Amino acid sequence: MSRTMERGSATIPVKVELRKTDSPTRKSFSERMVEYGEVDKEFVVFESDIGYSTYSYLFGNKYPDRYYNMGIAELGTMAAAAGFAADGRTVIVSGYGVFLTMRAVEVVRSFICYPHLNVKILSSHGGLTAAIDGVTHQATEDIAYMSTLPEMKVLVPCDTVSTRGAFDIAMRTPGPVFTRLMRDPLWDIYSAEETFVLGGSKILRKGDSITLVSYGDIVFQALEAAEILRSKGIEAEVIDMYSVKPFDAETLLASARKTGAVLVAENHQKRNGLGYEIATFLLKNHPVPFDNLGLDDTFGESGNYFKVIDKYGISARAIVEAAEGLLRKR
Amino acid sequence: MVQEKITQSSEISKEKIKQLKETAKQVRLHIVKMIHKAQSGHPGGSLSGADIMTALYFDILTVDPRNPRWPDRDRFVLSKGHACPVWYVCLALRGFFPVEELDTLRQFESRLQGHPVSTKTPGVDATTGSLGIGFAQAIGMALEGKWLKKSYKVYALLGDGEMQEGVIWEAAASANKYKLDNLVAIIDNNNLQNDGFTDSIMPIEPLDKKFEAFGWMTKRIDGHNMEQVLSTLREAKAHRGSPFCIIAQTVKGKGVSFMENVRGWHGKPPSDEELAKAIQEIEGGLK
Repeated sequence: MSRTMERGSATIPVKVELRKTDSPTRKSFSERMVEYGEVDKEFVVFESDIGYSTYSYLFGNKYPDRYYNMGIAELGTMAAAAGFAADGRTVIVSGYGVFLTMRAVEVVRSFICYPHLNVKILSSHGGLTAAIDGVTHQATEDIAYMSTLPEMKVLVPCDTVSTRGAFDIAMRTPGPVFTRLMRDPLWDIYSAEETFVLGGSKILRKGDSITLVSYGDIVFQALEAAEILRSKGIEAEVIDMYSVKPFDAETLLASARKTGAVLVAENHQKRNGLGYEIATFLLKNHPVPFDNLGLDDTFGESGNYFKVIDKYGISARAIVEAAEGLLRKR
Repeated sequence: MVQEKITQSSEISKEKIKQLKETAKQVRLHIVKMIHKAQSGHPGGSLSGADIMTALYFDILTVDPRNPRWPDRDRFVLSKGHACPVWYVCLALRGFFPVEELDTLRQFESRLQGHPVSTKTPGVDATTGSLGIGFAQAIGMALEGKWLKKSYKVYALLGDGEMQEGVIWEAAASANKYKLDNLVAIIDNNNLQNDGFTDSIMPIEPLDKKFEAFGWMTKRIDGHNMEQVLSTLREAKAHRGSPFCIIAQTVKGKGVSFMENVRGWHGKPPSDEELAKAIQEIEGGLK
């Protein structure tokens, strides 16, 4: 039983079982990369001296001739990866979100996305999952940068199985793909048989009062929030939007039609995140009461992950409050 | 396989030099004409690199205009992407696309974009235009060549102002780590950048000592002396054991008197009168 579930309503059965894991998604991604590397011998991996943090070293140990540690030089690393990929080869670039999506963003835009190269970005320390490291290591604008770039696809898996799924999507999708990963281990929810596709999503829990949309680590907060809401007589539908770009508009629309209210919660700036994307989509296609949670034009700070996400308004508690507020408006 | 030095395969004949000089003249004529036609583009840095580019495309590079993406071709990266007129001219004269297409430079729906785009122009191996980045892409291409155990080389033409970009030195260091002796960098050292003389905007010398310190074989040449340009490029082509950097002293706007070494001709097209004078001077060989 998980920490958050213990705080939830224990008398009501939890539809989705949260299993504690020791493996952060950054590690799961690299482990899948090693496995995949045995079958597909045509791709290489570029790292900028944080291989022992992203776990890309696992690949380097197994395939030293396919692993390029370019030193502490994210810009040069990204550009060299573009050169290696120039004739169509798949290259994985591993690193931290803040560096890859900001220091190297121009290279990603003009020299990877524009020529549509097969560069796959393993981006660790997404959002406040790097809470303990402080703001310089918290990629809280990465989704905005990456999803704004033409040609770029954006994935944010929440657990081990979906991370492996995200890796496979990245490898079989032509062109650049960005995968946001977490620093610390949280929970597993998916069974090994689950399948994941580009533009797909997972309805983790059915409900007819409100739709809760999230991705990555906040999926667990949404699940807990749904549990609390049930105790208050509100049945929330919870969607794991692991494919952030493109997102699953069809599932979202069907859910919004059913529930009549949508709340997006994400570990990212509110501005230009998935919430903004979905708000625009709903406004055009099916306007319903809407709210979004995320960093409200502010930076995060160091500290315990659970305390930090609560302070910045993306915890289960904050989701419950926002959902109730939204339903009062309806 | 690693050899200290491979004997030069052929002596450079006077006839060869004469041919290349004549071609370089044609290249310069096309450069000023196409930039005039577009009324936009960068003549200064295109003209300073014209002799080097001519030697590359008409002697050094192993490329196939009918098969621009031939996997075994030599790669070329124009890291100083704004000088693409000189590249487009060389590609057209080598048969990668019709020479008439040069008139479409920078125009709506042209394959000849304002800065080089690999997905649009046959023969363009890497999209460039942001200074410093092309050089780092060349590192990646050379790494792939090594990984595949291919014998092609990667050539990159860089500007000297570009040396002010930090990523240049990230790339230079990595070429040393991986002993990229399949990589040749040529610095078009015209000592002028957009805002003024390079040594006053932000000094970058001594380039030879800097690249040597980064583990490169370096050589300074006169970038307008075709004998030197060609013999040094051939030496670099044969060189093994380390990456090779040629620092070519050049004159920005070379061949057109009123453009030579004048700051204002970095990114300005000539007027009708200026074009006529430029053509006359280039054809006359600017005594």
